[in-house]
Amino acid sequence: MTGIVAGAWNFVAVPLSYGFMQRALVVALLTGAVCAVLSCYLVLKGWSLMGDAVSHAVLPGIVIASALGLPLALGAFAAGLFCAVATGYLKDNSRVKEDTVMGIVFSGMFGLGLVLFTKVETDQHLLHILFGNMLGVTARDVTETAIVAGITLAVVLARRRDLLLYCFDPKHARAVGLPVAWLHYGLLVLLSLTIVASLQAVGVILVVAMLVAPGATAYLLTRRFERMLLIAAAVAMGSSVLGTLVSFHINGSTGPCIVLVQAAIFVIALLWDQLILRRRRGRPDLRPAGASNLGQ
Amino acid sequence: MSELLVPFAYDYMVKAIWVSALVGGVCAFLSAYLMLKGWSLMGDALAHSIVPGVAGAYLLKLPYAAGAFFAGLLAALGMTLVRTHTRLREDAVIGIVFTAFFAAGLLLVSINPTAVSIQSIALGNILGISDDDARQVVVIAAVTLGVLLLKWKDLMLLFFDEAHARAVGLRPVALKVLFFTLLSVMTVAALQTVGACLVIAMVVTPGATAYLLTDRFGRLIAISVAIGTATSAAGAYLSYFLDGATGGMIVVLQTVVFLAAFLLAPRHGLLAARRKATGVAGHAP
Repeated sequence: MTGIVAGAWNFVAVPLSYGFMQRALVVALLTGAVCAVLSCYLVLKGWSLMGDAVSHAVLPGIVIASALGLPLALGAFAAGLFCAVATGYLKDNSRVKEDTVMGIVFSGMFGLGLVLFTKVETDQHLLHILFGNMLGVTARDVTETAIVAGITLAVVLARRRDLLLYCFDPKHARAVGLPVAWLHYGLLVLLSLTIVASLQAVGVILVVAMLVAPGATAYLLTRRFERMLLIAAAVAMGSSVLGTLVSFHINGSTGPCIVLVQAAIFVIALLWDQLILRRRRGRPDLRPAGASNLGQ
Repeated sequence: MSELLVPFAYDYMVKAIWVSALVGGVCAFLSAYLMLKGWSLMGDALAHSIVPGVAGAYLLKLPYAAGAFFAGLLAALGMTLVRTHTRLREDAVIGIVFTAFFAAGLLLVSINPTAVSIQSIALGNILGISDDDARQVVVIAAVTLGVLLLKWKDLMLLFFDEAHARAVGLRPVALKVLFFTLLSVMTVAALQTVGACLVIAMVVTPGATAYLLTDRFGRLIAISVAIGTATSAAGAYLSYFLDGATGGMIVVLQTVVFLAAFLLAPRHGLLAARRKATGVAGHAP
């Protein structure tokens, strides 16, 4: 018994005695919280690919911002928004399908970012942008992440009912007089901000996992949206912290560890849903895939 | 002038250029079908899912194609399982599975950094490809191209009209399995050239560009293959002057060609549509 307690103590306390681990855990918590909230909306709206696209597309923005000495967040934000707007424009003005257009735009921007990176003098490490650099977080990074995450969280939580109605049933949202176009672009802005906030922790390539898994896990476990938000936040923050601690002990990259812990929790939730909840309901779920109280 | 010929003086550049051209051409062939069905996300997901297989194969010194294929199969199985047992939307299911696989691959590489670098998996490393790997890529691409040339009409019929395809005696399931097998092996080849993050462009952009330029599927394939081959060869050539970023250069070229087609295509381009719109307005009383 004492062995287990001592082991757990070492697992948590040893990393915490380092300054860089304290900062990493703060960033992990912030990133987890803001990604979790956004992921609930993306999962309901079917925008997982949008999260993937915007996150790759921020790369040229980061490279240009770093070359011009601007805050990276600004460049990333502009590029992410450009990707979303360009996708909408190309889709509306050609006969190519939306997912294809999105694939073209984000891969083109990502490729451009890579090419620019070879030509631009910058103090950034490409691999840190791509995969995050959780263990190298500085105090200034913590502040930046906190500001971006704080703004995003505050806006989403303040407008959570309007956004929910928009994701759930855009026609109804329009009918009751909500500004649907504003909500659409508002959600895209929030998505870009979230990706900016997560750069430090998981980088542009793995952030899509943070933007899908927590919401999807919560979606399996509840049919009430408020509860879904809470579960997603708990899952994301818990796995961010656990993943960071694990990566410290096994000496592996942090981003992948966080994503794998999330995936493990998803699998547990899936089994729980299959074995426990189904039995408790007493009959198999006969509804077609995708249909639910939470909507299409 | 002679400066422009410098890349051809290096064996590794010549090899990179023609291997890229081959991979780009065959990927473009497949892109005609993927674009048609709206399966772009599948290409991206496959490219990320095979990464743990590639990392594992390098670690165990097995042929990387075998590892990649195994991982791709596992990921497809995982997606099918999750999709049939939950009420989640398909895009979320694909998103969860492929990111988990990709993360597993990255973790494997980060723990054993000696076997293969993260950078060459994520961003490709065609300029430094070993002769062994190049041979695997060429065999894969040649076999895929051969099968596609034999079966392209059957696949076209299947994807346009499955009921009709069944009526004329084709076997849809077998053909689909064949198509996804070809797609996943080509993904493996493309991973070597442009890296996991940019495979999606190789298997989507040329087909979409060709779709703006023609209404006939046979011609669409020909245009797509021409674009894929030319942009890949040119991208590899230009990357000599950039000291790297071959994948980025290829994809940027493909995107530029797409944008040009979007603007200038004779019938489906933006300018043509504008002209038509003003023409109609001008004739109105």
